[in-house]
Amino acid sequence: MTDAPMKLTVVGAETPVWRKRLTSVVSHGLLIGASILMLYPLLWMLAASFRPENEIFTSASIIPTSWSLDAYFRGWHGLRTSFSVFFTNSFIVSIFSVIGNVFACSLAAFAFARLEFRGRRMWFALMLMTLMLPYQVTLIPQYVLFRQLGWVDTFLPLIVPKFLAADAFFIFLMVRFFRGIPRELDEAAMMDGAGPWRIYWKIMLPLSTPVLATAAIFTFIWTWDDFFGPLIYLNKMSDYTVMLGLRTFTDSTGMSDYGGLFAMSVLSIVPIFLFFLIFQRLLIEGIATTGMKR
Amino acid sequence: MTARSLDTGAPTGERAAAPSPWKRIWQQDAPGYLFLLPWFIGFFGLTLGPMISSLYLSFNHFDLLTPPRWAGVDNYVRMFTNDPKFAASMRVTMFFVVFSVPLKLAFALGVALLLNRGMKGLTLYRSLFYLPSLLGASVAIAILWRQIFAADGLVNKFLSIFGIIGPSWISNPNYSLWTLIVLSIWQFGSPMIIFLAGLRQIPQDMYEAASLDGASKWRQFWKITLPLLTPVVFFNAIIQTIEAFKSFTPAFIISGGTGNPINSTLFYTLYLYQEAFGFFRMGYASALAWVLLALVALFTAFSFLTSKYWVHYDD
Repeated sequence: MTDAPMKLTVVGAETPVWRKRLTSVVSHGLLIGASILMLYPLLWMLAASFRPENEIFTSASIIPTSWSLDAYFRGWHGLRTSFSVFFTNSFIVSIFSVIGNVFACSLAAFAFARLEFRGRRMWFALMLMTLMLPYQVTLIPQYVLFRQLGWVDTFLPLIVPKFLAADAFFIFLMVRFFRGIPRELDEAAMMDGAGPWRIYWKIMLPLSTPVLATAAIFTFIWTWDDFFGPLIYLNKMSDYTVMLGLRTFTDSTGMSDYGGLFAMSVLSIVPIFLFFLIFQRLLIEGIATTGMKR
Repeated sequence: MTARSLDTGAPTGERAAAPSPWKRIWQQDAPGYLFLLPWFIGFFGLTLGPMISSLYLSFNHFDLLTPPRWAGVDNYVRMFTNDPKFAASMRVTMFFVVFSVPLKLAFALGVALLLNRGMKGLTLYRSLFYLPSLLGASVAIAILWRQIFAADGLVNKFLSIFGIIGPSWISNPNYSLWTLIVLSIWQFGSPMIIFLAGLRQIPQDMYEAASLDGASKWRQFWKITLPLLTPVVFFNAIIQTIEAFKSFTPAFIISGGTGNPINSTLFYTLYLYQEAFGFFRMGYASALAWVLLALVALFTAFSFLTSKYWVHYDD
């Protein structure tokens, strides 16, 4: 506000320069202090993962006195099954979830945003209502269903729902984006004889890369982070995702090998952190425009 | 011409004279329903169908191995009259919601206001504050939290600088839930971003006019910023409350799946998980799920009904 040119000069209304400087220094001080306070635990965990085991609990500093990768090697093979298996599983589940979510949700979103059919409003309203639904309400029958299909101890219960657009949030996100694309483009294509599929595939999708990328990244992160789904559907250690591996670590050796536990915890958030570094602008805009939960 | 089915917003009056109804359905409605096909399968097979059968199961005893046995309202009666763990989990969840959501939103709004003063480095701060939101749901962070608040953890190390010997926050029932509330507040980044977006929508000339009239910054906040921001506050409050009701992973990891000490972190979702997958009381767990749904629905309905008294919508 203060740097906007004043059109009218009111006597005495101009804040003195020293006061502006002071407020600026105080604000930055507060923000920097808050940032350090918030990031300290993360940096401390990172430092702890590089420390010799005996130093982890004696030091609150975020700069290790000596660096060692021991904890990473110990942690990687800290359980009966190595973390390479868990990471592979997590990547498989996350990547298929991304494909399923982007494809199925964009199909549904295209129908809601661009096609005219009877019942559209009703289905759209129902879709919005599922956004509010706590997953616990469908949890047990879904479990019974997947169990009868013989899908327990496979990745299918984690992946197939994504191909059925079960996460309505992303439909909502895409509908909002699709509606912003000028209709003239569809109409022009229609004049040239393009059907709905071609319009979806050749016009909508190519023009929607920002929202598709946002949906893909969030799906990846949320699937990667997901703990509850793997917890109930995966029982064999060879099927575990990274999050389940970490949890097993805390139950067994974790109590004695904090270094290994921290090292694996750090590795488990590396993929999320990379997405954050590369795509933070996209993520933040995605949240700002749609009000995402996390 | 299937392209007819595209909603062009143009008048459809010039539709060809009475083609057979089947042909019309095919041309008009089929593309929409075909595009929605995956969602329909999901909606009926994974949402609506399971909802109905979970409602049915909530009136049964069901252990997954033998067929459900009709129980009438037994599950619900037991819940409200004879289940101390249900009562405990309800208390814990309510306490968590009531304290974590307002505090988180207050932090989010406070920092957003500070950042909105046209600070240099806005994007950097915004990203830094957002990072915990993105990582917060991870098991790794819950593990870290358990360590930070342990007897020999990071928090007590800092306190010892001032000569204070802190308790083991995690294993003390007076504090254990607070560690989870702090974890939730730590993730204020995403509501903060939504507040920032909302603050940008407020026209600057309103502030200029107000300061010409001699209104103080404080008055401007209460008379302009806050009223115009109420739709965003409302939105954030609903989303965060529903999320708080559904919170599971941190409590599970920090308490090792038990909800201890003395049920002080027994989140409702954690109790439901124990009943369903620990004791295989699937009927009872379904009843718990429906009570949760009723709770969330009541809360949402209540918010929307009261919103007209405090949420300011543009005309």
